[in-house]
Amino acid sequence: MKEISDLNFPEDVKYTKDHEWSKSCGDIVTIGLSDYAQDQLGEIVFVELPEVGDSFSQGDEFGSVESVKAVSEVYIPISGEIVGINEDLEDAPELVNEDCYEGGWIIKIKPEDPSQLDDLMDKAAYLNMLKG
Amino acid sequence: MNTSLKTTSLHQWHKDAGAKMADFGGFDMPLWYEAGVKNEHLAVLKSAGIFDTSHMACINVGGKDSFALINFCFTRDIVSLKTGRCVYGAFLDEQGHCIDDAIVYKFGETQFMICVNAGMGAAIASHLDSKKKQMDVSIEDLSGKIAKMDIQGKNSAKILAKLIKNPEIVFDKMPYFSFKGHFSNAPDGIENVTLADGTPILLSRSGYTGEFGFEIFIAPAAIVALWEKTLIAGEEFGITACGLGARDSLRAGACLPLSHQDIGHWKFTNHPWSFALPYTADKKGFTKDFFGAKALAPADDDKFVYPFVGDTLRKANTGENTEVLDENCQNLGQVLTCATDMGIGWLENKIVSINTPDLPQDLKIKGLSCGFVMVSKPLEPGVKLSLKEGKRSIDVTFVTDIRPNRTARMKLDNFI
Repeated sequence: MKEISDLNFPEDVKYTKDHEWSKSCGDIVTIGLSDYAQDQLGEIVFVELPEVGDSFSQGDEFGSVESVKAVSEVYIPISGEIVGINEDLEDAPELVNEDCYEGGWIIKIKPEDPSQLDDLMDKAAYLNMLKG
Repeated sequence: MNTSLKTTSLHQWHKDAGAKMADFGGFDMPLWYEAGVKNEHLAVLKSAGIFDTSHMACINVGGKDSFALINFCFTRDIVSLKTGRCVYGAFLDEQGHCIDDAIVYKFGETQFMICVNAGMGAAIASHLDSKKKQMDVSIEDLSGKIAKMDIQGKNSAKILAKLIKNPEIVFDKMPYFSFKGHFSNAPDGIENVTLADGTPILLSRSGYTGEFGFEIFIAPAAIVALWEKTLIAGEEFGITACGLGARDSLRAGACLPLSHQDIGHWKFTNHPWSFALPYTADKKGFTKDFFGAKALAPADDDKFVYPFVGDTLRKANTGENTEVLDENCQNLGQVLTCATDMGIGWLENKIVSINTPDLPQDLKIKGLSCGFVMVSKPLEPGVKLSLKEGKRSIDVTFVTDIRPNRTARMKLDNFI
């Protein structure tokens, strides 16, 4: 397991206490798992994705990731409608381990209320939480 | 790290290798290394892997009545156990519940060693002590005095041959569940096995992966050197250090139980490991009386443990929140183990492994979930079940065996 100082936490995304990240671009928000989450889970062998068109409220479970160790739910950081899913994960779920902020993104949503992003943690706050 | 955890002699090596560590049986142990569980699991199926198993405990049992005491407490009838052989079984309490499973090694008519799980040395030693009464038996808990590593996979013997003296003599007549040598002074009747530098080892042709290989008992001060030399000797074979994650997925695929998870505080009966009980040939009785046997008689509230295989590699969580549903959506029990064997897949209605000969070229083996469920009524093999937790559900089939084409029982000659 890596030390927190060896993990990568970009400045341009927002984090949740459940270790999802959200990145806003135009009116679309991309969501994935943080480097800490993928490191804790170990090798991811399956990602259960929602369908495009599904809607979720902030904090709802929208899918799950299975690692060699366990099955974990993933929760939507802000309310919105699914407008894209990362179909590459079907054949290559390990992208979540290898490239969690780029190739390993999970869903794209159209937020219901973009101001909910303000509720989420920035890098410094997230690091503080991880360091407990 | 929780500072109250115990460590093995290889602890610093694991940390230096970047292992993800976790508490297992009170020991800070590696779950996986940088290669990851999948690669570690596949390395054992394709070539070889090594495991630090120094967290396991050993107990010496000696004296005139040692045989009588062990045969009264152990679920296997060791009356026919020969010197130089070992056997798997369990120790039960008065309710017929499993205190722990174990392997009993016979050094001679009055000298045995019992290998039990992490942290169980004192418990089993004290259980034996409570049953010995007037018997002439000495019981010594060796916890912390022996280190152990397992080398598993089809290239294990080729790698070990580079590390031990006289490998052709050592490997001659060494069937499954036999052993040679001793980790300190070999008792009479046990020939010595030593590493090239003279370090004595107990070499046992056994393991916990279902694959060909050995368990090696050695003095704690000597294990780091052996571990490192094994990695160097095995480099040409792609040997991989493996953590408890791969150990769990390999043993689940091999249909082997994890003590305190698949066997435990319930009756040690109606499970896939009936060979661990001393049944008579007609299966109607036992060949001997032993502690806990009376409690094993059938009862209305008996539970049944069965192996299962999933339709895909998707897993279910273990624990009370996951239901085991039959086709009428009736909840029959709970999931004891669910792991993914990364080396197996379905070919039509048969399970195949990456070691199954003549597989179709276009078959992509991604792995299947597998494990054990405990249910409230007897089922027939082939029954479909759903393991359901909340919205999530996976479909599984009750099977009698999981990973095919395992190598553990094959003749040693095939591997040198």
